[in-house]
Amino acid sequence: MNLLLLIPLLPLVGFLINGIGFKHIPKSLVGVIGSVGPVVAFILSIYAFGAFRAGNNAPVIIQLFDWITVGTLNISFSFQIDQLSLLMLLVVTGVGSLIHIYSIGYMSHDAGFGKFFAFLNLFLFFMLLLVMGSNYVIMFIGWEGVGLCSYLLIGFWNKVTNYNNAARKAFIMNRIGDLGFLLGIFLIIQTFGTVEYLPVFEKAVGMSVGDSAIAAITLLLFVGAMGKSAQIPLYTWLPDAMAGPTPVSALIHAATMVTAGIYMVVRSNVLYALAPDTLEIVAIIGLATALMAASIGLFQNDIKKVLAYSTVSQLGYMFMALGVAAYSSAMFHVITHAFFKALLFLGAGSVIHAMSDEQDIRNMGGLRKKLPITFLTFLIATIAISGIPPFAGFFSKDEILAHVYEHNKLMWALGVLGSIMTSFYMFRLLFLTFFGDFRGTHEQAHHLHESPISMTLPLMVLAVLSVVGGFMNVPHVLGGHSALATFMDPLFANAQRANPALFEHGHLDHSTEYLLMGVSVGAALLAMGAAYVLFISKKNVPAADGQESGLQKVIYNKYYVDEFYEAIFVNPMRKLSDALYSFGEFIVDGLVKGAGGLVKLSSGQLRQLQTGETGFYVFAMVVGITALLLWNFGAIIFK
Amino acid sequence: MLSIILLSIFGIVVLFLGFQKSKNILLPATLLCIAIAFAANFVHWNDAPGLYFKEMLFENRLTMSFSAIVLLSAFLVVALTRGFADDEAAQPAEYYAIILFSLVGAIMMIGFDNLIMLFLGVEILSVSMYVLTGSDKRNLRSNEAALKYFLMGAFATGIMLFGIALLYGATGSFNLTDIRGYVGTNSFSISTLLYVGLLLVLIGMLFKVSAAPFHFWTPDVYDGAPTVFTAFMSTIVKTAGFAAIYRLLSGSFEGIYNFWWFTLAAITILTLVVGNITAVYQQSFKRMMAYSSISHAGYLLLSLTAMTAQTPDAIVFYSLAYSLATVSAFGVLMAVAREKSVQSHENAEDFEAFNGLGKRNPLLAFVLTVSMLSLAGIPLTAGFWGKFFIFGTIVERGNLIWMLIVAILMSAVGIYYYFKVIIATYMKDGETGALRVPPFYRIVLIVSTTLTLLFGLIPKLLS
Amino acid sequence: MFPQVAPSIPQVIQLIPLNNYLWLSTALFVIGIVGVLTRRNAIVVFMSIELMLNAVNLLLVAFSSYRSDPTGQVFVFFIMAVAAAEVAVGLAIIVMIYRNSRSIDIGFLNKLKF
Repeated sequence: MNLLLLIPLLPLVGFLINGIGFKHIPKSLVGVIGSVGPVVAFILSIYAFGAFRAGNNAPVIIQLFDWITVGTLNISFSFQIDQLSLLMLLVVTGVGSLIHIYSIGYMSHDAGFGKFFAFLNLFLFFMLLLVMGSNYVIMFIGWEGVGLCSYLLIGFWNKVTNYNNAARKAFIMNRIGDLGFLLGIFLIIQTFGTVEYLPVFEKAVGMSVGDSAIAAITLLLFVGAMGKSAQIPLYTWLPDAMAGPTPVSALIHAATMVTAGIYMVVRSNVLYALAPDTLEIVAIIGLATALMAASIGLFQNDIKKVLAYSTVSQLGYMFMALGVAAYSSAMFHVITHAFFKALLFLGAGSVIHAMSDEQDIRNMGGLRKKLPITFLTFLIATIAISGIPPFAGFFSKDEILAHVYEHNKLMWALGVLGSIMTSFYMFRLLFLTFFGDFRGTHEQAHHLHESPISMTLPLMVLAVLSVVGGFMNVPHVLGGHSALATFMDPLFANAQRANPALFEHGHLDHSTEYLLMGVSVGAALLAMGAAYVLFISKKNVPAADGQESGLQKVIYNKYYVDEFYEAIFVNPMRKLSDALYSFGEFIVDGLVKGAGGLVKLSSGQLRQLQTGETGFYVFAMVVGITALLLWNFGAIIFK
Repeated sequence: MLSIILLSIFGIVVLFLGFQKSKNILLPATLLCIAIAFAANFVHWNDAPGLYFKEMLFENRLTMSFSAIVLLSAFLVVALTRGFADDEAAQPAEYYAIILFSLVGAIMMIGFDNLIMLFLGVEILSVSMYVLTGSDKRNLRSNEAALKYFLMGAFATGIMLFGIALLYGATGSFNLTDIRGYVGTNSFSISTLLYVGLLLVLIGMLFKVSAAPFHFWTPDVYDGAPTVFTAFMSTIVKTAGFAAIYRLLSGSFEGIYNFWWFTLAAITILTLVVGNITAVYQQSFKRMMAYSSISHAGYLLLSLTAMTAQTPDAIVFYSLAYSLATVSAFGVLMAVAREKSVQSHENAEDFEAFNGLGKRNPLLAFVLTVSMLSLAGIPLTAGFWGKFFIFGTIVERGNLIWMLIVAILMSAVGIYYYFKVIIATYMKDGETGALRVPPFYRIVLIVSTTLTLLFGLIPKLLS
Repeated sequence: MFPQVAPSIPQVIQLIPLNNYLWLSTALFVIGIVGVLTRRNAIVVFMSIELMLNAVNLLLVAFSSYRSDPTGQVFVFFIMAVAAAEVAVGLAIIVMIYRNSRSIDIGFLNKLKF
């Protein structure tokens, strides 16, 4: 089992080699060094998975050394290998390897090639630490580490100030979340006297449902998850984070880091099972985020922004699943989402690469002939995310919606609404980018080319995974065995002991399940059809910024249907979308910026106190002394 | 206690070495002296605790740890004084002697068992610092810093002495154990003089560690003093000061915790807020470090306010982490500014000095990054565990969670200005051309960075 | 008839109640503080600080005599010695500043600020 230690160690070695020697190592070698670590780690993860399955399914703790001892608190540096960490390991190293390979092609023209790989490897190291640690402190260290790397990578193209601001925003928002996480850890220490997962959960089983300490812990941890996984109100950093290079968006801001919040909640499932109120909050926030982000995504014109809001929305679905205690469904969606969203981002990267760094879909179109592989894979991913069978997204999303339906029918309806929007904006993106006529400049048209093999290979692999990924957990109703859910079951045994009521719900009969599936698939197909009519038959192109009314008139006046459509659907939706967008942009950002501004302002004011006059300094001291004396002895003096 | 005697003798020896023509021997000699004192510090490790010099000084493993931190920081800082003797007008022998003498003061502050020793220690350290601050004699900034430090320091000493006199009036003794006995036996009829006296002594000590609102001297003095002595002040004076406050409060006044905890808590919060928030606006790295040192005083005070069984360990670890990171930060600043000040005299200590450092000298950039991460308390550096232990003591105390929230919020603010440095290092373009670093610097920086990372990975090493 | 025995020095001191010493030295101390606050000439500020130290000395001697305990007076010697050292350093700093700026007005020393 000591081979497992190599899994996080290999990326670290890659980071050290590339980080220290990036000036001296030839470019061709940098990519290889950077990619070997993740690939070998992936192979080792598969091996570990096999070994674990061959064993007795009990968690394996690998104790490295006693790390710190403070009083009675003992924190050891150890890894825990169980179903959850294995799944995360496979996703992180697998998707991570593909994205590393992709980056060799994508970043080949960049001056900071070596630095990029070093950061990417460092990120992978911290992410692996996060998922492998056997206690909350190691998780926190990984948590902070991935935040740091994300910050460095968002600001990677730091020449542009905007990008630096985006990086800083991401960092500040994450710090707010981290504050919650850290307080949660201290509260865990106070409540349980340890931070190791197994003893904490063992002790938690004996506590009563609704215990206030547990409620506080779960809420604080959830605040941390909100920051990392971009939930309302801490979501606005994720769309801005798209300033980073596209492989970073794919790896960090779609497939791995942002799912850390979900990992954390699943890891703490026992605690959450004991706090039904917190679960309700989680579900509501997840649903609200899913809907809000999806509706904002409807009218975005930046290819990466659409995907970013889509990510936020999909994360919302995962939290919704957590909120209804469908932990394994959430993990299932984490996995399939990692496949198709990474594929979408990498495909978008391939498009951006071909378009000479153009990201506006209004200037694209007709790319399917020039970029056949990218187009095909992108199409597959779009179908997958829209939830059309038999691709991966269908199974995972449908499972979530089925669980939500058992919990609350209204939430289910809203969830279906969200998936309609998902299907619409994804097909809109697909049609505008790959169909119709090319709308870019001549220079761009001339430059158009399919990406090199190092970029298309990961696309193809991910495409295959997006197609077949869903079959790992085919529900009984479709003749499957829910293999993934069965595999993960032991993880939730404690939670079921602690709060059996939470997991008791009448099983849906098969006809209902078929109906639910039919509704969501039908809705997705309908949305696809609407997008097809709008953007292929009618050849609509979203108006350029600032001249919407003028252009809209020209286009829309031709069709009565369109005016009707516009009045009934487009305008209200656009208004809602704009309103939600500005809510995020101005209210949430305003609050964060306001806090930052307040600090700066008070800094400027406090600074003025430092007058440089010795007399004033002494005066301030005397005032301080007098205040302290009066505070402590005022009662005696004025008696 | 052997180290005190040795350091005093060594100081005189170094002074006499100054009569030699060759100044080159001074630095190695001083380093050797500090190294010997460091070794001598542990002589009594196994038969501690003990009282020395007619119960004037006390020694246990805690005081030895503090002394070790002080001597280690001194060793690293002194190693950075290379190039000091190049200046014609400088009197390196005197400065080295003063440094050695000041260490005597620091160790007396750490291990005092009698208020007389506290006073002497504080004064030996402070008077040495006044001289060293003003050692750049022709530079008006240095002069101004020295005078400000001197006037305010002497003022604070006056306050502290008045407090000591009142304590003596109330208890009839300067001995910590006697005072503890008085507090213990007369718990219902403690003289008001004792309370006032304790408050004034505390204020005098808090001035030395630059806690708000007694911090005003810090930015100006740190800014004006030659950088190497800024590093000396921000590490050694601070560590010794906190050791002394801990010794005073735990040695004599634990019985009246209810009296002083709120005062200390208020000062802690004020210090945290003022230090962190004012640092945000700074353009000069040295001033930023000064405000940052104020904020770190706040974190250390946090643990003193909690005053639990874990407090001493937390303070020791935090002081060590903070000292190592500070030494690296100032070391890099000196290496960069030294080059820059040769070319132009302006802004040698602004953030801009670090622009493009990542390309000019990756080692310096890495050292600076680790140091900033450690000061900001990011995991896998010693600074993270420092903060973790400090916050742990607050959690242990239980009813002070509100202070913890303020502290964590303020540490989030801290990240903003520490990261400004990292951004300048890696993400901004500045001068090009490789930066040469003298080998002595390189060794010091590598040692302190390695230790920072080592304690960050394996905090258990220290126990 | 009754031989006049000269009172010992502590007894002389004790003729005045302890509280008076306390108030006197507090008053001296506060005068010192006010001097530091109001004066701009570095030497006068410095003298005010010396006044504060001497207030402390007076207080210590008073306490020491009342308690017939010599340690307080020993402390006074230490304070005097240290104060002398401080004077040496302080005056040196002031001379240094005077050489460079031809002024010892602390009000003009505000190059380091914000």
